[in-house]
Amino acid sequence: MSRILVVDDEANIRLLYSEELAEEGYQVVTAASIAEAVEKLQGDVFDLTVLDIKLKNESGIDLLQRLVKERHDMPVILCSAFSCYKDDFSAWLADGYIVKSGDLTELKQEIARVLAKKAQRAKGGL
Amino acid sequence: MDWECCWDRDVVAMGDCPNIHEGDEDLLLSRRRRILEKCCDCANFKRDLNRFRESGHTLAPVFSLVHAEYQRQKTQIQSLVSFLDNKTLEVRFLHELGSVLQSSVDLEEVLSVALTAITAGKGFGMNRAFLMLSDRETNNLYGYLAIGPRNYEEANQTWDEISQNDMDLQTLAQSFRKNKLSSERDKFHDILEQLTLQLSDTNHILIKALDSKQPMLVEDAFHNPDVDYSFASLLGVDTFLLMPLISRNRRVGIIIADNCITHRRITEEDMRSIETFTFPVAFAIERASLYERLQVELSRVTEANIKLKEQQELIVKMEKMALVGRITSSVAHSIRNPLMVIGGFARSILKNTPLTDPKRDFIESIVGEAHQLEGVLDEILNYSDDLYPTKDFWDLNQLIETVLHELEERLAEQNCEISFYPAEHLPLAHIDYKQVSCCIRNIIISDIDGISGLHLEIRSSSDSEHIYLKLTNRERRFTNEELESMLTPFATSHDMGSGLGLALCRSMLEKQNIPFFVAAPPEGGIQYTLTLPIEKEELT
Repeated sequence: MSRILVVDDEANIRLLYSEELAEEGYQVVTAASIAEAVEKLQGDVFDLTVLDIKLKNESGIDLLQRLVKERHDMPVILCSAFSCYKDDFSAWLADGYIVKSGDLTELKQEIARVLAKKAQRAKGGL
Repeated sequence: MDWECCWDRDVVAMGDCPNIHEGDEDLLLSRRRRILEKCCDCANFKRDLNRFRESGHTLAPVFSLVHAEYQRQKTQIQSLVSFLDNKTLEVRFLHELGSVLQSSVDLEEVLSVALTAITAGKGFGMNRAFLMLSDRETNNLYGYLAIGPRNYEEANQTWDEISQNDMDLQTLAQSFRKNKLSSERDKFHDILEQLTLQLSDTNHILIKALDSKQPMLVEDAFHNPDVDYSFASLLGVDTFLLMPLISRNRRVGIIIADNCITHRRITEEDMRSIETFTFPVAFAIERASLYERLQVELSRVTEANIKLKEQQELIVKMEKMALVGRITSSVAHSIRNPLMVIGGFARSILKNTPLTDPKRDFIESIVGEAHQLEGVLDEILNYSDDLYPTKDFWDLNQLIETVLHELEERLAEQNCEISFYPAEHLPLAHIDYKQVSCCIRNIIISDIDGISGLHLEIRSSSDSEHIYLKLTNRERRFTNEELESMLTPFATSHDMGSGLGLALCRSMLEKQNIPFFVAAPPEGGIQYTLTLPIEKEELT
């Protein structure tokens, strides 16, 4: 069972993701801030992180850059209310980019795609 | 001795002296004045003097000597008075001329005064004058203006007119400028046209005069080795005066003056008088020319300032629009998160609600409305990203192809078809690609929304100024009220569709000066027309 870390400052969104992704068979852990996410990442192993970009006064891009350096084997999907960050070079470090929507189909498809790619990479020894 | 003259009488009567006439009554009673003013020049007195000399009186020769000296000095004084009168007139004239020349920075006024002064009877009284100016850019000396009659009839007519209207020099010059400047230029066009030569042609008499910086009286021009025969023929006179116009050592131009009608001899005195006049004329011409150039430069600077101001206003406007964009984006973001939660949980609930549950319809409504609101938010966020158009030249046919490619899936879902007829050799349109794409996409979505099996036709065409894009749907029917409603902001209508709305499209297009019309032809259907610019429009 793949473990997913969801980082979002909105409690309702964390709850929605937890419910929906758990239903898809994932084990979901949530964090409301970068500090909480870092803490959970240090004490646990995750297969993927779903990361919001605007986290109150923090930027998810900062955490993304840190994860790319320290946990390069763990893919990250950025999930934002803004589509404009797609054009931001820093956002290109992520493995996927989803604009938030009440319809989680696209997010679920993206998670499946990224995890499959990760598995394939591991299998290929890359 | 009986004297013929009345000098020995204290009082005389009218008729006693042949030199005393009406108006001289005072002299009848004043012997002293009568002797000095009349007797000394009187024939009777001279005869009396001869008789006195013949009388052998010892004082007689002395008397004759004194009388002769008196007459000589009187003549000399009269000549000096006449000379002084002339000089006074000349100084007055030069003063008048100087006042006008110093106060004017209008080139045409200066030239009118200069040429009028040369030819006016109250001025230097020459018959005709040509003004040639030097052009630094082409290094040419060229005929600019001429004044004077071309034949006797015209001369008589002009001089009659001038004598009937006693005008001072300034008035005469003003009248010339107002009534004759243009016609004189035309009148002498044939000669002026041929009066062009290189400033480097140092063999030409005009350039020689210019280089010498001294006036030159040219006589016997047709046989003068220094004068080009064709030049003399062009002027048609054998004597003329050349007056170089030099200002600050710069060759401003030259004036050619002659007496082609009266053939009055041009004297050294004429030349000296005119020489005094050429300095202020040259200075005034150069100053007026510089002023003209200054005006041109000033108008350029003013124009640049206006453009700068417009650009500043544009920047402020763009900043304001960017701020509006940021606010809109922020508001949309604040709405999106709760909307996503509502829509997400509604979907979640819907999944676990049995098909028979009566509340399922309500949940489906929440899911549907949340989905539609998310779509509107996407449009608003996209729109706020590009509130101010960024224009460039784009191929409209290619833009349409791209939009149609993006809509392929949706068109297929609704079983709709679009036929695109691109015009050949279509010029590039000066537009904001993203906004125009967004509008065309929304026009299509708005048109086909909720209806299956439609067929749209898109045609591009152009003329010398614009590109026209017509989207036609012959299958839909609209009333004028419905059309009006579609184009009114915030009006709600089922037929507006789920897109950005035609009102917003029109607003976006109008910001780019792209007129957008929707028409419902009487035969049915609906036609959308966009008129796109080819040229980059000037800032107004």
